[in-house]
Amino acid sequence: MSVSQNKNSAGKSEFMRSLMSRFESFKRTFYFLTRSPLAVTGLIITIFYILLAIFGDFFVRGNPWTMVQVLEYNGQYIYNTPLPPSSTFPFGTTYGGYDIFNGIIKGARVDEGVAAIIVITGALTGVILGSIAGYFGGIIDDIVMRVTDVFLSIPGLVLLIAFMAILGRKLEILVFGFIVIWWPGYTRIIRGQVLSLRELKYVEASKAAGASAFRIITKHLIPNAIYPVFVQVSLDFGNVILSLATLDYLGFGFAGQNLAEWGNIIGLATHGASGVLSIENYPWTVTIPGLVILIFVLSLNFLGDGLRDVLDPKMRR
Amino acid sequence: MKLYVYIIRRLLLMIPVLLGVVAITFALSHVNINLLISEYEGRIHTAQARQAVINALHLNGNFLEQYLYYVVAVFTGNWGYTAPSDIDPGSPVVLEFMRRFPPTAELAIVATLIMVALSLPLGILSAVKKDRLVDQATRLLAMFFYSIPVFWFGLLVILIIGPGSKIVPPWLQDSGTGQLNFQKYAIVLKNGVYTLAPWAVQGGLSRPTGFLVIDTALYGDWPAFLDALKHLMYPSIVVGVTSFGVFVRYLRSSMLETLGQDFIRTAKSKGVPEKYVIKKHARRNSLGPTTTIMGLTIAGLLAGVVVTENIFGWPGMGTWLYDAAVSDDLVSIIATTFVFTIIIVIANLIVDILYAYLDPRVRLE
Repeated sequence: MSVSQNKNSAGKSEFMRSLMSRFESFKRTFYFLTRSPLAVTGLIITIFYILLAIFGDFFVRGNPWTMVQVLEYNGQYIYNTPLPPSSTFPFGTTYGGYDIFNGIIKGARVDEGVAAIIVITGALTGVILGSIAGYFGGIIDDIVMRVTDVFLSIPGLVLLIAFMAILGRKLEILVFGFIVIWWPGYTRIIRGQVLSLRELKYVEASKAAGASAFRIITKHLIPNAIYPVFVQVSLDFGNVILSLATLDYLGFGFAGQNLAEWGNIIGLATHGASGVLSIENYPWTVTIPGLVILIFVLSLNFLGDGLRDVLDPKMRR
Repeated sequence: MKLYVYIIRRLLLMIPVLLGVVAITFALSHVNINLLISEYEGRIHTAQARQAVINALHLNGNFLEQYLYYVVAVFTGNWGYTAPSDIDPGSPVVLEFMRRFPPTAELAIVATLIMVALSLPLGILSAVKKDRLVDQATRLLAMFFYSIPVFWFGLLVILIIGPGSKIVPPWLQDSGTGQLNFQKYAIVLKNGVYTLAPWAVQGGLSRPTGFLVIDTALYGDWPAFLDALKHLMYPSIVVGVTSFGVFVRYLRSSMLETLGQDFIRTAKSKGVPEKYVIKKHARRNSLGPTTTIMGLTIAGLLAGVVVTENIFGWPGMGTWLYDAAVSDDLVSIIATTFVFTIIIVIANLIVDILYAYLDPRVRLE
């Protein structure tokens, strides 16, 4: 009885202590992050975009296709003619009377939501497979690494287009295709970390104490090997958004061209008209949605770069 | 280990990767079997036609049997036929591949050259002047082009260079899409008589190499050559510039690592000028590790090529993939996926052999 009680209380205090130390290390990381102006800029813009995705819907109502209801504007028939930015349409309209500002706000939720799903599931798959391959080694390691070799040699965009064309343009197919592309990177990162960690004394001690492989991996290896994955996630989030926009621009996104998505808005401007060259008359239909993508991806990369510098002790010196 | 032993080992390591790639394309082509069958059936959707296709493609055997037939077909060059349409009866995929591959290769090679030409000086400069203004500016620039959507950058370039643009002078402007306006150059005025140009054959240019710039130069048609160069320049700039960011990043960190090593300090302390230390000692040693990421860089570059070809109307593999995906041409989709993958596998092989040649320590592993 007393033994179990003892164990219980020790477990609790240990948990509190580990939480405190994690908080301390987070505070230190955050302090070093705020030393770099670029990383702070990236962080602020990223937070702004995430807030936009969460709360944007409450402030900007209606759907982007406003022009279908408002056929006349300043005595001009504007159903099919893009309008330059004005006070009514802050970012202008694109073909079919699509309100770009509204579309961008609505698109933030779609883009960031899908990208978050993709990155998190991809990272999870990679972390699980990579830690198993790194810990057990031998034939499992060989198989997993050969499979990542195969997937790393397929250009992601090509495989995604093939997936969407063959299996159908659906959200679950898109997410599955992205995971197929993205897991090998994470697997390699975490495997490299685990390979060096598993030789350390505390892992050996834990093994000698009779801990199971599951416990060692989840309790000792993954928490210590996870930091490079955070960096990679923040960098990949931008890459996923770029690929997503590219796919939608080409017309291989999910849910078709009417979905409010950043790449789709540019696609509307070029495919909705008679061709790419007609955008010369309406440059804002292309430049503004592209800038929105660029700023977000750039700030994510600033953040990721800053995180890498902070989490890599060699660079912190 | 001798170099040829390393090469043989590396080639043997390629076999599982190749089999894996074939397995993926097999899965892709057989997962939606109705699409495959309906493509070959054409307009006649009868039970007999369906059965004939199934028999011809060996789709009625068990899984292993099908895979075996598939692998044999892939490695004997029997890649099937492109989907027929109203104007095109469909042709062997291999022929289509021969037609589509050279433009993509041309674009990718020039883009790679631009990428390397941009990133080598920038990466070295940024490492040598670490944390100075040049370094910060270079890193910012690399990150900017790393984050830019390729298709958007291509559209911006079209906005800038399009006909009637006020930004660039007329001789830099470009109108029309694709590679060349063949009608413009096919008929030439010779001794007062309009005749066909020597390279003009039915259906366009006679292509000894398939590379537009080389072909026009071979025939000595300089106006066409300059025009071809102009058409090639913009898409390759778009691809090269959007993919050099990763390379600069790796080169910088590799260079920094080399600069921190003992032999650099020795060279400096014995009085070797800074210029020679960087040129002779540091640069050579940091280029080796950087070549290893060349394979990954080329994978990213090819993705850029697919998009850029679509935007500039470049008649290569990317446009083929796009057209095939739009018209549900399954065989062509699989073929392009396979070819792009093989390009990367071969690029990785070449890079690894090159690295082993440059740095003999690699061969010891």
